[in-house]
Amino acid sequence: MFVITIWVASTIVFFLPRVSGQNPLAEKIYQDAQRGGYQDPAVQERVRVFEQKYGFDKPLWQQYVKFVSEVVQFDLGRSIYLWPKSVNEILAEGIMWTLSLGLLTLLLAFLIGSAMGALLEWRRNNWGLMVAMAPILALSAIPFFIFGLVLQLLVFNIDREYPLVYGYQQGVLGWPDWSDLSFILSVLKHGLLPALSITMVSLGGWAMGMRGMMVTTKGEDYMVQAEAKGLPDRVMLTKYAVRNSLLPQVTGLSLALGLIVSGVVLVEIVFGYPGVGGQLVQAVSRSDYPTIQGIVFLLAFGTAAATLGLDLTYPLLDPRIKSLAN
Amino acid sequence: MEQVQTETSKMSWWNSLTARSEFTRDRVVPILRYMRRNRLIVFGLGAFMALALFVGLSFLFYEQEDSYQERQGVNGLVRAASVEQDQKPSWNPWSGYPLGTDPKGRDIYAAVVVGVPLTLRVGLLAAAIGVGVGMVLAFVAAYVGGAVDAVVRTIVDSLIPIPSLLVLVLVATSLNPGKGLTVDQLGFVIAVLAWPGPARVIRSQVLVIRERGYVEMARMSGTSALGIIFKEMMPNLAPYALASFVAAVSGSMLASIGLESLGLGPLDSPTLGSMIFWNISESSVLLGLWYWLLPPIVVLVVLFVGLFMISAGLDEVANPRLRRRV
Repeated sequence: MFVITIWVASTIVFFLPRVSGQNPLAEKIYQDAQRGGYQDPAVQERVRVFEQKYGFDKPLWQQYVKFVSEVVQFDLGRSIYLWPKSVNEILAEGIMWTLSLGLLTLLLAFLIGSAMGALLEWRRNNWGLMVAMAPILALSAIPFFIFGLVLQLLVFNIDREYPLVYGYQQGVLGWPDWSDLSFILSVLKHGLLPALSITMVSLGGWAMGMRGMMVTTKGEDYMVQAEAKGLPDRVMLTKYAVRNSLLPQVTGLSLALGLIVSGVVLVEIVFGYPGVGGQLVQAVSRSDYPTIQGIVFLLAFGTAAATLGLDLTYPLLDPRIKSLAN
Repeated sequence: MEQVQTETSKMSWWNSLTARSEFTRDRVVPILRYMRRNRLIVFGLGAFMALALFVGLSFLFYEQEDSYQERQGVNGLVRAASVEQDQKPSWNPWSGYPLGTDPKGRDIYAAVVVGVPLTLRVGLLAAAIGVGVGMVLAFVAAYVGGAVDAVVRTIVDSLIPIPSLLVLVLVATSLNPGKGLTVDQLGFVIAVLAWPGPARVIRSQVLVIRERGYVEMARMSGTSALGIIFKEMMPNLAPYALASFVAAVSGSMLASIGLESLGLGPLDSPTLGSMIFWNISESSVLLGLWYWLLPPIVVLVVLFVGLFMISAGLDEVANPRLRRRV
């Protein structure tokens, strides 16, 4: 399945821009040629040379085979706009920001949301929890970045000095420098709002999923037995109910990945975060197809790989599957 | 005597209302009775009705003068700048423009009123195509079985982990770079990836329903395959199809607003997403133009929360296990 997903992704990424029938490479070269003010006579020649370099002069199927075989080796080609920078170099700048933001918020939302859902079902008549749940559920219906915009508005009106955009304080010499404590503080301060907007919005989904699973688990025979044994409430909650309800939540994790990636890209744009989302927008506005293809492929690959990883770790979490396999 | 008379007349009034037709008694009354229990659907539909009423009334009655001192309806106010050069952007709810004017001098109230139907149109178009295609594929796969089923399942399973927004970005940039798409084109673009989800859900339901007794009965009594599909299975699938349709509308609107916020939507039509795009690109938060950003956000929140409630309520209809125990 993983291999097929990767193949489908690379095929989509290869063919879509070629359907459009336009030539961003030639456009870029013509633009550069005209910038000097006079018409370079050798411009046609230059277009031809660059087309050879990118392999655009070969028949389509040869390009396709070359593209797929290169992509599988993570050679994503060179950017058209930022020539001769390779797409890999461009992605290396952004991916760490995106990855840390996405993974951190995903984990936080998963843990807090599941805990809330579990408590919500366990202490059924706790009004405080139920009141807290209503706005969180309503939040879960709206897109991440819309809530991000609301947060920006709020924070801007409370504290005009608080940084709303970019990943760290700009204009300081020598930054980014990960050994500098004030730099790390600045990164945290800038990352708080984007992280908050993703985490708060995803909480509700996890909480509802967990609550649903807890309802089922509570009706199981082993819960009745645990109660009959006179186990303490806390042991019953953590060792019996939560442990068994958490497994289906992990399956949900792999389904949520694709949504999270799309969401993080948009949140990055709202907050001007230096991840691949911002790079994607820039590449789109510059018609820099190799970069767009690279980002889309990388994120599709990451999602598929994470799904595969979850499928593989599932037996470790659920001893029943392991014993079945043996 | 008189007392009895009024009593009976009351009764007959009640009877004539409830038993006017079998349709009312058998169809409408149970639905109303169920809706009293399923509050979510009522609230969701209520939010939608309120929004529809607001938009409809505004289209009928809202008029302003544009900068040429001519009276304009809602549509005209969006196309033309409605205030003088020195008045924009401004927030002057007591001097004519209820929600102020944006930096281009357009009436924000009018833009929101025009934007709601446009945004819904994209969502409905994409969801209708997506659920339609998904349903056909689901029936074909589940009914023919064998290799066809395997192929459909493989395609669906390999498409689901790919973050759809990114592929849509690629599609949108390839189709019409730089110029943006029209509203309907945007709907078609989103429909490209709107079908795998519904296809998966409906296919699994078809597999379940196919084994039910009444379908078996119909098959044995010689009903054709199409007859079974349309007369026996469709009515029982309706709640699932409706639930996945509402979910698809919500997902498609999410995708459309994401694409529009990236600047890939119809930039000349005032959809809610395009308004958000202009807000982001002109960094309205930092300029203190909260009155420009807030209206589209509020409307979007109402739309998304309403859809979320309807879909959660429909889930309860389709999935009796989730029904609240009374």
